[in-house]
Order: sequence, then structure tokens, then C-alpha cells
Amino acid sequence: MVLFAVLGIIACEKSLNKTNPSYPGLDSYFRNSSELLKGTNAIYSIFHSGSLIGREWFFIHDLRSDDVTSGGGQLEVPRAQILNGATTPDNSVMNSVWNGLYTVIHRANTVISYAPGVTDNTALRDRNMGEAKFFRAWAYFELVSMWGPVPMYLQPVTASNQFQPRAAETAIYDQIVKDLQDAAGALPTAYGDEDRGRVTRGAANAMLGRVLMQKGDYAGAKTALLAVKNSGLYTINIPYQNNYLEETEFNPESIFEAVFFENIPNSFNWGGQGDDPSQSQGTVRNQEYSPIAWRNLIPSNRFLNEFENTATGAAKTDPRFGMAVYQTGDTYNNGNSVLTDDDQNGNSSVLNGATKKISWRKFMIIYKHGKGGDRAGGGNNQRIIRYAEVLLMLAECENELNNPTAAVDYLNQVRDRPGVAMPHYPTAQYPTGTKDQITKAIMHEKTAELGDEEIRNRDILRWRKKGYFTTDPLPYFRAGRDELLPIPQQEIDNNPQLAAGGIAKQNPGY
Amino acid sequence: MKKVLVNQLIYRFMRIGLLPLLLITGFTGIMYARPAHGQEVLNQKINLIADNKEVKTVLNELSRLADIKFVYSSQRIPARQKISVIAHNKPLGEVLDNILQPLNILYYVSGKQIVLMRKGEDFSISAFLNNDQHKMLVADELPMKTISGKVTTDAGEPLAGVSVLVRGTNRGTVTDEKGSFTIAADAGETLEFSMVGYKVFSIKIGNESVVSVKLQSETINMNEVVIVGYGTQRRSSLTGAISSINNKAITELPVASVEQALQGRVAGLTVTNNGEPGTSPIVRIRGVSSINFASDPLYVIDGFPTGNLSNFDSRDIESVEVLKDASAAAIYGSRATNGVILITTKKGKRNGKLQVQLDSYVGTQSPWKKIDLLNTEQYLRYERALNGAAGIDMPPRLQPNNFNKPIYDGTSQTYAQTNTDWQDAYFKSGVLTQHNLSVSGGNDLSRFYSSAGYFKQDGISKGVYYERGNFRINSEHRISKVFSFGENLFLSYSKQRYDNTSGNRTRLVNVIRNLPYLPVYDPTTMGGYRNAENSVDGADPTNPIEDAVLLGGAYRKTLKVLGTAYAEINFTPWLKFRSTFGTDYVNQVQHQFAPIFNDKGRSAALATINDVRTSLTTLLYTEQLTFDKTFRDHHLTVTGVYEQQGARGYGEQLIGNQATNDIETLIGATNVSAFSTSTENLLISYVGRLNYEYAGKYLLSAAIRRDGLSLWAPGNKFANFPSASVGWRVDQESFMRNAKYISELKIRAGYGETGLNGIGIFGKLPNSQLANDYPWQAVVSQNGAIYPFNNSMPSGGNASFYNTISNLGLEWEKTKQLNIGVDLGLLNNSITISADYYRRKTDNLMLSVPTPGSFGFNGSGVLANVGSMQNSGLDVQLGYNKRTGDFKWDVTGNISFIKNKVLNLNTPNASIDQGGDQDFGGGAPLTRTAAGEVIQSFYGYVVDGIFQSDAEVASSPFQTAKTKAGDLKFRDISGPNGKPDGVITADDRTFLGNYLPNFSYSLNFGANYKNFDASVFFQGVQGNKIFNATRIISEGMARLFGSGTAVLNAWTPSNTNTDVPRAISGDPNQNVRPSTRWIENGSYLRLKNIMIGYTVPANVLRSLTKGAVSSFRLYVSSQNLLTFTHYKGWDPEIGSKNTTLTNGIDYGQYPAARSVQFGLQVGF
Repeated sequence: MVLFAVLGIIACEKSLNKTNPSYPGLDSYFRNSSELLKGTNAIYSIFHSGSLIGREWFFIHDLRSDDVTSGGGQLEVPRAQILNGATTPDNSVMNSVWNGLYTVIHRANTVISYAPGVTDNTALRDRNMGEAKFFRAWAYFELVSMWGPVPMYLQPVTASNQFQPRAAETAIYDQIVKDLQDAAGALPTAYGDEDRGRVTRGAANAMLGRVLMQKGDYAGAKTALLAVKNSGLYTINIPYQNNYLEETEFNPESIFEAVFFENIPNSFNWGGQGDDPSQSQGTVRNQEYSPIAWRNLIPSNRFLNEFENTATGAAKTDPRFGMAVYQTGDTYNNGNSVLTDDDQNGNSSVLNGATKKISWRKFMIIYKHGKGGDRAGGGNNQRIIRYAEVLLMLAECENELNNPTAAVDYLNQVRDRPGVAMPHYPTAQYPTGTKDQITKAIMHEKTAELGDEEIRNRDILRWRKKGYFTTDPLPYFRAGRDELLPIPQQEIDNNPQLAAGGIAKQNPGY
Repeated sequence: MKKVLVNQLIYRFMRIGLLPLLLITGFTGIMYARPAHGQEVLNQKINLIADNKEVKTVLNELSRLADIKFVYSSQRIPARQKISVIAHNKPLGEVLDNILQPLNILYYVSGKQIVLMRKGEDFSISAFLNNDQHKMLVADELPMKTISGKVTTDAGEPLAGVSVLVRGTNRGTVTDEKGSFTIAADAGETLEFSMVGYKVFSIKIGNESVVSVKLQSETINMNEVVIVGYGTQRRSSLTGAISSINNKAITELPVASVEQALQGRVAGLTVTNNGEPGTSPIVRIRGVSSINFASDPLYVIDGFPTGNLSNFDSRDIESVEVLKDASAAAIYGSRATNGVILITTKKGKRNGKLQVQLDSYVGTQSPWKKIDLLNTEQYLRYERALNGAAGIDMPPRLQPNNFNKPIYDGTSQTYAQTNTDWQDAYFKSGVLTQHNLSVSGGNDLSRFYSSAGYFKQDGISKGVYYERGNFRINSEHRISKVFSFGENLFLSYSKQRYDNTSGNRTRLVNVIRNLPYLPVYDPTTMGGYRNAENSVDGADPTNPIEDAVLLGGAYRKTLKVLGTAYAEINFTPWLKFRSTFGTDYVNQVQHQFAPIFNDKGRSAALATINDVRTSLTTLLYTEQLTFDKTFRDHHLTVTGVYEQQGARGYGEQLIGNQATNDIETLIGATNVSAFSTSTENLLISYVGRLNYEYAGKYLLSAAIRRDGLSLWAPGNKFANFPSASVGWRVDQESFMRNAKYISELKIRAGYGETGLNGIGIFGKLPNSQLANDYPWQAVVSQNGAIYPFNNSMPSGGNASFYNTISNLGLEWEKTKQLNIGVDLGLLNNSITISADYYRRKTDNLMLSVPTPGSFGFNGSGVLANVGSMQNSGLDVQLGYNKRTGDFKWDVTGNISFIKNKVLNLNTPNASIDQGGDQDFGGGAPLTRTAAGEVIQSFYGYVVDGIFQSDAEVASSPFQTAKTKAGDLKFRDISGPNGKPDGVITADDRTFLGNYLPNFSYSLNFGANYKNFDASVFFQGVQGNKIFNATRIISEGMARLFGSGTAVLNAWTPSNTNTDVPRAISGDPNQNVRPSTRWIENGSYLRLKNIMIGYTVPANVLRSLTKGAVSSFRLYVSSQNLLTFTHYKGWDPEIGSKNTTLTNGIDYGQYPAARSVQFGLQVGF
């Protein structure tokens, strides 16, 4: 009896050993190419989440630029903080982007560290590794250009004490360049239709050009950018507005774009992490910027008045102005609705001395939708890098490398694009006789071509360093502080090794 | 011999003729005093014709006909006398009356035996026993005699239902409605009389056969039997901190749940309202023991440990015991850290009578407070003050040409003429009603209690309600003297229409934020409601009535079955084995339907259906052996238990869209996605306990429980949880005999180790509806995300990721607790005091160690056993009762003090921040948990008034570039180097107080005057802080929204004497940031309940209803009639959001209601 009881109890004790029947354990996953591919796809899914491209990424870039101004009283506090240069270390927008970028890095590191063990499809494996390296580089570039020295992780964290200290900016840049070079080597130049949206060799090279230019290596940047140009895969000979419409996604000007899809109308994955396949896969940019929605940020007067206009003495009014912004009186909803002042909540702008309501048009879905609905969850892909930027970066490289003719030629290529056809530089307003003059033309052309495309803020950082501004574009700017955002408080509080590399845990001035 | 039933013995006495007649004085003059079940015997119909037959023969015939036995001495009654009887279908009683009355014979019915006696016979058993000649015989052959008697109150009123027990034996009975009893006992044995609410009385049997007992009532019954884990114990022998709450207190309040009924009843137990009807309140025993997990106590219902009391009907409860300290609770080992609440449901009485009880009330409830919100005219002024200051144009709607337009086509009412009171529109009064019908009864063999109940609580706001129906059957059967068998079965169904608002923009937030010039309803829209249009109105509140009614179609339907069956074997009077098998099945269906609608501001082109189903089946298997024996002055109880409790869960979720509002299912739906998961857990336990009592003075208790839990990694599954306690009943000492004012004095001390209940606490994994039962395992979210390459959505996702670290070392959070207590009774226990000091230290705190963002886990922490916390406190319970005279009254009060301190976290400077939200203070955290501080202390800046001039701004520490006169002045407390640095940064944040009160208290006053009864119950907390985040909404002024009227008092150069900063859109100085501005004193004193009842006197009732109704009480009561508080929000009772570290933050919580109800209690 006793024996049976003891045996029974021992049998029961054995049944205490239970493992999760519903989820695969990490100890057995990412072991084959199909699982590795899913791991790679998870980088894309977090990259387009609300913490990044779907929401906070465009905010943080725009708020740190002078392309935008507050649309009115509705701008939420943490966004207003960034716009006004009063960012605190607990700023939620900034924290969200920081976490999102490091999630990209964690997922990229996962793919990179498990890839060597995958042998069933080495071609796919190597491509996945290239994609992962592209994203790791992209994320570190975002981090280093906004926060300066940041902790650098090149392996996924496997124990709760694997904290990394802040690494020097040069070390981070070196890693970014290496990753992008590896990616360019591993990635295909193009994909079949079913994989449209994946990163390509062109994307890696264009990103490398951006990075090297930001670092000050114009010669290196030029090489990388020429690789894009010389691939012959890209063109700007498409209508300018096609860069912002849903019907013309994956067009030949687009080098890399974040894919959004309106699987559920008028909704957005507010969870922020972008996970959960049942959730909405749209961007919330429409709700934030659309003239008939929030208008949280509207074009700044600086941006509006940058455009060449016959009213201010230019030979031709830049057609890109009308394709970048909506003004009262413009039609939308496939020409069926007319925008009124009453539609547009909040602040007015001053354009050439006249006060009027002007709102962003780029990426806004109302070109084909009316009032009500479709404010959130637009499916319009966010173009991250397009060929016009490559040409303008080449112009800047050539100018910095003292090749003025080549520089002006690149600028004029952009002005020649169909539907724009602006008069060639030099113009009366933008002479190109000196390097400084060409610099001014580049700065002007970049705003006219790429305003509100989350590029200006990084240009400001680069050009400020070179002393290209007589007055700083950001009214709140204090040297030695506002070049960088504060390190998020949560990182400081929870990463005891943050300052172990000799770099103070917080950026100066915060 | 002792086992022979009393009546058989009597019969034997009679038969062998040793005893001429047992004539018991108690029987004299109770000719027709038949015990309740005797009435049934006497009511049976008899057909008998006897013509000139001997009495003996007639009785024999009757005995055969009625299946009864007559007990009598033929020497004492004229058995041979001849009589004639004719009875056609007459009750036996009438037949007996006819036969025996003329013969001067009395009869008494006991079970199926009828004892006959000669009238006027005063032969007593004592007289008989004093006769030496017979004494020997009795001692040899008749070791037991029959003791009968009557139990009354002090006032002489008979007491029914008193338990009469021969000490140290199984022999026991219960008094009938006249207070009478009969029991077999030896001379030298002790009879114990006990009943809840009365002091135990014991008497040693000598020569007497009749005893009259008066029981003294007492408020705190020091001698009642208390349910402890796996057994019972006399209160007098308790060495741990255990509080009992009786049925009366539990059922006095008209509340949905047992937890709510416990509020204020026990020192050291706090209950906090946490939302709309059907939402469980927050229950804490002696504070918070865990940082990362809800500190809910373990509930044990009739021996079945369960996680919550959802759906339970408090009217079924006989008593509730709260095991507060480790020595009491540690018998539940790994699950006992947060205390244990034992619930015992009602059983039938063994008095042979059916009892039918109806308990009903109906009432109404409504909010007790409104806050002042802007009307249309005030809103217009406010908008200009706010937006005008920032140079922002008036929103298009407010411009006169638009503002004077009709609010919708077909009406002439303009926006300017509209003045909606959103509080009036949202709040309402609601019905509160409960009915419970119970039938119970029993006899020596079987007893049962069955009940059916219905409860319904409407919301005091639109769109929420809760209703429940439930059934119970408890039964117990004595198969033989050795075996008995019983079962408890509870079945219930509930339906809750809950608030499905996600995020922090609660419906109440939108009540504040809504625009007074907008109508609630708009017949021209699809759905009939009207919402603000942000581009036109410049604000985006959502219509809370529409959210509640049209979009709030969210239901939770729960079916619960909780059943246990047990068999008990009494090997000997001192050795008992009990085997219990139980099952707890909970099936919950959650259905949400969001229709197609368009309210001008928001729209949905497709209806969304979101269905969640979960089922959880828990099986319990307990084997228990109890040894209980007294050897002279030593009383020893030893208990050994093997227990196994395992649960299996299954959950699924289905989401999809419909293109019509007419179909609420997923037939033909689009965008359908589905998940399902299953889990399993198992707990195996070995329990041993020893209780030792010497001379009724010195008490010792020691227990150990070894628990093995499937949740932990291999190698870490088992742990031991020991405890011990001692007690000294000082009042039993001889030197206390002369202290006549002290009726009771006991000193107790205990120490023990307990664990955190690990089952069901771990966060859900993605796409799972069930708690994670495998917390140490790092799992991959396979296809847990999606990326629409080429704008196409592969069904079920195409991306896998993980954001955890596996931790093989995870184990229980363990709490060591010391408890020292004293129980004092004065003046015959009319004054009672019970006080307990405790100190509990929890180690191994399992924290979701907040990973730095750079780990890339997207904010999710990693579980690890790090950190420790300490709670210490004092619980005091006081009582006074006056139980004599027409006017009887009692007062009980309790007060508890608690101090909490986090001792350490994962790193010395680690902090756990929570509660931040962009709408509430700009996203910065509202609470911080850090070593050396109280858990989740409020955290933020200190406000030093308002800048009165720009010069003052310039001469003060730098805040922001846009700080101006009228902004709040924050205190420069620290800087990067730990010193004030002339700049206001995040370093200047500090701890601003916490939600834990200095003390919480309650006072209950009960009184009876003749047939009237009254009770008044006050409950309060003192010294806690509330983070009134609702005020950030009502007076924060960061963005344009509807607001409270406080904004009209904003600082301006001409209105400088104010504590409201300037109105300026965008809030450049971040005046809304978490700061002392939002911290309020949360103290309150509440008249929780006041009740007046009237019981119709029994004699009136009898004559009115001809005996059909045995008791009838009417009452009227009111809850939350008065609340004394300085708190500015709707209600000072603030729970927590998702039971995270956000207790005491008022995000706009559904407030406690004021209610009035009328009830009746009828017994049949």
C-alpha cells in the first residue's frame, strides 16, 4: 500500500515537468531558413510600427527640423517639447523611437547570430543576413545622428546583465559602414513582385552614401551614391506627385520605402510595437497631418517661402509647391471637394505676406478620399530614400569635393524632372558662381524637392557643423546641447553600464 | 456500549424493568411538547379499530401500523387495562391523545420512539442512581444515561440550534426550537454547548439527568469554533492572526461580491472599489507584498483553493475567516503570502425541520457627486483665453457665422443655443436588486442546504451593468458511524456589460472633455449620435454616451461550476480520514460588437466583431488524516495532507469585420483572424501540522508545507514553507483568578514563511487569452507579426520574434512574517480588544527587471527574482456589547496601520516607473518604485507657486525658454551631480507621497430595541494621497477641450491670487507635468451603510399567517449616504489601472454609488 502510494506520488511529481504547448521555445527556433526568413520579416514589421515609421519616426524627424510648425493647440505635450527644444529625458515620443530602433537592432542581431547555423538554403540565409545588416545599420544611423554615442549591441541579449556602455560615435559609424557594405554585397538589386518592399543593394548603397556624407566622408559617399546611379535601375523621370500617391508605390524613383497596407479601414495599431498580425497595418500620418484631420504639424513659413515664386521675383513658380501643400481653395477627394478655412483647424500660415491656412499634402490620402473616415490607417507607403535625394546628395558631394560643374549639373537634373521643369541654375535668385552659392542652391533645392520627407533635420546637423547657417534654423538652438536629444531616462535608470565606456551617461545640457 | 443510541437504551431500561420509570422533570408539563421531527411521526394517519383490548395490545398494534416503538414501564402505566378505540384516518397524535389522556399518561416522541410516563410522576434519575442497590447494575450494564434539558438566553428565551457535544466524543445534538435537547452521556463526561454569537458553556455531568443552561451572548466569540486551513480550531486555542466575519456582516450590504462585503470588516484587510458593476475590487491583506504581481489573497471555498470569487453569492456564506499572518496562512504554503480568505458555505441544520428563507431587496443607486464643468458661454471665454494667448485662431465652429448655424439639418437649435451637461447625460440612476431563496434542513442522517439567487446591478452611468444567477446544493450524509459523505455544488451564470474603453481616455475623461455646445444625439447621423470634429471643433473628445451605448457593445458571460465531494472515515473518535475531490470549471465568453456608424467626427465603414472564449478547469484532490486526542491535560492534534491541484486552460480569440450591422457573428466576415492557446499547471503539496495544548493554557502550533509547482524550471520546482506559533492563555492561570474584570487574556506569537501564489499571475503571451504558465521559458512569437510585402497580407502573419530571456532560476517570492498578538476580554467579555503587530519581509521579489531600451525588447522586462520589500503594521479590533435589557447594542471598531518600504531592487539605483500617459501629464511616469521608498510612490516636481512676473522667471532656475509670468514655479531640488544646478530638469523630480493610508478604520454600531434593529457602519482611510489625474484633464489646459470651471480662475495679470497657472495653448512650461499640483489628500470617512429593520413579533406573525410564516423582517438601508472628504474628484475610493503600479491614480474611475434599498427577509 505504502509502496504504491509512494510510487504514485513520484509519478505525479514527474508530471510537474511541463513546457509550453502553444509556442515554440527559443531553444529550438530560428534553426532553418524559413524560420530565419520570419525572423527577418519581423525586422520589417517593427520598422514600420507606430514607434517608428508608422508614427513617431516622422514626428521626431519633422519636429527636429524647420520644415514644420505647430498646427495649433492640439499638438500633444511631448511633441511640443521636441518642437520647442524643451525635450526632457522622459519624453515619450523620443523614448518610443529609441525603443523601436533598438528593437530593430535586436531582431537584426537575432538573424545575424542565428544565420550561420542555418544551412538548408544558404542563398536565402545570406540575403536575410544582408537585410538584417541593412536594418541594423539604418537603426544605428538613426540613433547616432539623434543621440550621438549610444550603446552598441551586435549580439542578441541572452542574459539580463549583458548591458553595453555608450560607444564612441566613430566606432558606431565604422560599424554602420561595415554593415552597409556587407549588405550591399549580399543583397540583390531587385526582387520578384511578391517581395516588393525588401531592401536592395541600391538601398544599401544609397544609405551608405547618406551615412558617409553625414560623417563628412564626401568621397566615400560619392562612390556609394554613384553605385546607385550607375546601376541604371532608378530614374526621376516620373511625375513628382507619384512619390506620394498610393497607386504609384514601388515606382522607379523609389529606392526604399516602408510598406503600409490598409487592411482595416480607418484604423491604426495604437499598440505601437506593430506586432500582432490581426492589427491594422496602416500609418497614422494622415490623421496627424491631413488638412481635414488634426493638422498637428503644418508647413512652417520658412518652408512655404523657400519656394521660388513669380510673386517674389522668380522666373517661374515652383510646381512642387502645389504638390507639397494644400491651401484653402484647393480641391481634394478626386476633385469632388474644395478645401475651406472651416475644414482646417488651428493655425494659419503667412505666405508671401498673406495669411492663409496651408497644410501638408505629401502622403495625404485625401487626394482620393472625402471627409470622415480614412483619417487613421492610410496605406500609403512611406518613401524612405528616393532617387532625387541620391542626385542631390551627389550634388553636395561634388560641391564639397570642389567639382562645381558636376554639382550644378546634378541639381539641374532634379529641376528637369517632368512636370517640374524649373529653370536651370544659376538663376537670378540662386547664382552658382562660388562654392557657397552652390551650397545655398543645394540647400534650397533640397527643401523644394524633399521638404517634409524627414531629411531636413539631419541636413541641419551636417550644415550647422560646417557653419552654413547665418542664423540657426531652430530658434531654441543652444550650441553644445541641442545638437542631440537627451538619452532616455529609462535607459539611464536601467543600464548600469551606460557610462562604463568613459562617456557620460547623459548628453551635455540635459 | 457507549455507542448505543440513547433511545434504545431507554427502551432497554424499560424492557428489562430495572427502572420503574424514567421520569424526567424536564418532561413534566410538556405533554404536547413534541420535537419538530416528532410532529411528522404524530401526523401520520392511522386506521385502527380495537374493541376492549389491553392497552399493551393496542400499543403493539399501533407500533406495527405506524412503524414506531413505545417505551414504557408496565409497572408504571396500566398496560393491562382494557380500552376501545375507533380511528378512521386520524393522525397518530390524536389517536394517542384519545387513548392516553384518560389514563393520565404523558407521552414524548423521540425519533421513532414514543416514551410513555405517568402524569405527576416525579421519580428522578438521580433518586434512582442514589439507590446503591441499583447503582452497580447501572454501572455495569448501563454506562450511559440520558441527559435532557433546555438552553436559553440570559433573558430566558429558548435558543434553537445550539450545538450540544459530549467533549472528546462524536456524540452531539442540536437544540430544537424550544431550546430542548436530549443526549446520552456518562456521569463524569462534560457537555459543551456552543453557538455562534454566544459563549461556550460546559458542564460536567454528575448525578443529574436534566440540565438548564443559559448561554451568554458575546460579540467577539472567543470560544467559537473557527475554520482554519484543513480543519477547525477553537478560537480560544488560536495562536495565529485570524479574523472571522459572520453571515450577518457579509449580507448586510447590497453588493455584488463577497469582497465588497468585506470592506472595513477586518483590521488589516483593505478593499478598494475598482470600477463598474461586476469588476472585482482590489483586496489586500496587510498591504502589498509584491511589486510585479497583484497581491490578491488566496480564496478557499469549502476547502477548494481558488483565485477569485467571481460569481459567488454572498448569501450562501455561513462564515468567512481571514488568515492574516504567516503562522495561520502558511498551511497554504506557496500561495499564502497575501493572506488566505476561507469561505464556508451554509449547511442545513440537523433539527429535523425544513427551513425556507427568502431574502430580497430592491433599491436604487446614483452618483453622489458632480464636478463643475464649463457651460457653453464659459467654454467660449475659456477658448479665447487659451488659444488667444498662444495666437491660435478660434476653431472654425466657434466663429459666429458657424456657431449660429443649426446643430443639424432639420432643427432650428443652434450651437450657440445648445448647452449640454455631459455629466447629466452620462450618469443615471440604476436599479440594484437581489433575491435569494434557500431551503435547508436535515436530521441525524442527512442534511442539506440549497439555494437559488439572482442579482442585478445597473450602472450609475450608461452602458454598464452586471447580473448573476446562481444555484447551490450542499448536502451531507452519515452513512454509518464510521463513514460519512458530503458534497457542495455551486453553479452560476453572470453577464457583465463592461466598459471596453481602451487606453486612458476613459468615458469620464470624455465627459469632462466634451464640448457643451454639441448635442449628444443627432438624428441625421448613422447611429444617431454626434461627435466633435477635430478639424472644425479644434478638439477631439469622443462622445461618452455614444461610446457607452452604441460602441460599448461588450459583454462578458461567465459560467462557473464549483463542486466538491468528500468522504470521511472516522476510524476512532480521535482518528479521522477525509478524502476530497473537487472541480472548478469556469467558462467565459466575451463578445464585442462595434457597429458601422458615422457620427460626423468618427466613422467605421465595417462592423467589428471580437470574440474571446476561455475555459479553465481546475481539479483538486485532497487526502487528509487528522489525529485529535486529549490525554489528561494534553490536547494534541496532528494533521497530514497530500494535495494535488491542477488546471487546464484553453482560450481562443476570433476577430473579423462585417459589412452589415445586422449580423453579429463571423459568418461571411472579412479580415478574420483567430488564435487559440492552451496551458496546464500542477501544484503538488505535502502538509503536516501539529497543534498542542497543555492544560488549556499553553498553546503550540507548527506546520510545514512542501509545494511542488509545474511553473518553475526543472530543479526549482519544490520549496518548503514552515511556520510555528505559540500562545499563552494568561486568564487560565491561577494567579488571574482574582482579576475579576479580566475575562480573557491571551498572548500569541507566530513566525512563518509563505510564497506568492504563482498560478495565473504571469502575463499573457501575445495572442493568448490565458496567463502564462511557463514563465521561465523564452518563447518565440511565431508569426506574431506581419509585414505586407507587395501590399499583400499573408494570412496568419509572416514574422517571428522574441523579446524575453529564459530564466531557469525563477522561483517563488518568499515572505517571512512575524506576528505578535494579544486578545483581551474585560467585564465578562463585554469589552474585547484584539491587537496584532506584524512585520513581513518579502524576498526574492520577482520583478520584470525593466530592460533598458537598448536590449531591444521593446519595453518588456525580464523576470528575475531580485529585490525585497517590507511591510509592518498594527491591526487593532475593539468591541463593546450590551446584551441585556430591551435595548441591546454593540459597537465594534477596527483600525489598521501599515508601513511599506521597498528594500532593494535589481540594482541600487533601479527604478520602476509607471502610470505615464500623454494625456495625463505629458507622458512622464506618475509613480516610481525605488529602494528606500514606499512602493509606487507618486513621483514628480514640487510646485512653489506661480511666477508673478517675467522678472521672477528670469531670476529663478531656468525652466524652459518659453516660461512666462503665470507659469508654475518648480523647485530646483537636484541636478546631474545631485545638487541644485539652476536648471529644472528631470533630476528635480522627487517622491511626492503615496497611496497607502497612515491608517484605515471602521466603526460599526448595531442596536436592537424590542422588534427594531439598526446598524450604522462607518469606514474610512486617513493620510493617503491621490494622484488626481482627472484634474489634469479638467484644469490642465494643455490643449483645447471641455474643462472644469477651475480654468476660469487661471492666472492673468489681473487675477494673480490663484493656484491655477495661466491659460496658454501648448503649455510651453509644461504646467501639466506630474507635480504636487495634482496630489491631493485622499482621506475620507464614509457612512458606508445605515440600516433600520423591523421584525414582526412571532406571535403576531403566527396568528396572521396561521403559522405559514415563521419570521418576517423588513428593512431599509442606504450605502454611501455621507462621505466626508476634501478630495476634489468624483469619488475618493480609487483603485488601479490593470492592477499595475498605479493604485491611487484617478484616471477618471467609475465612482462608487450612493444607494437606497428596501428589503425583506421571510422565513417559512
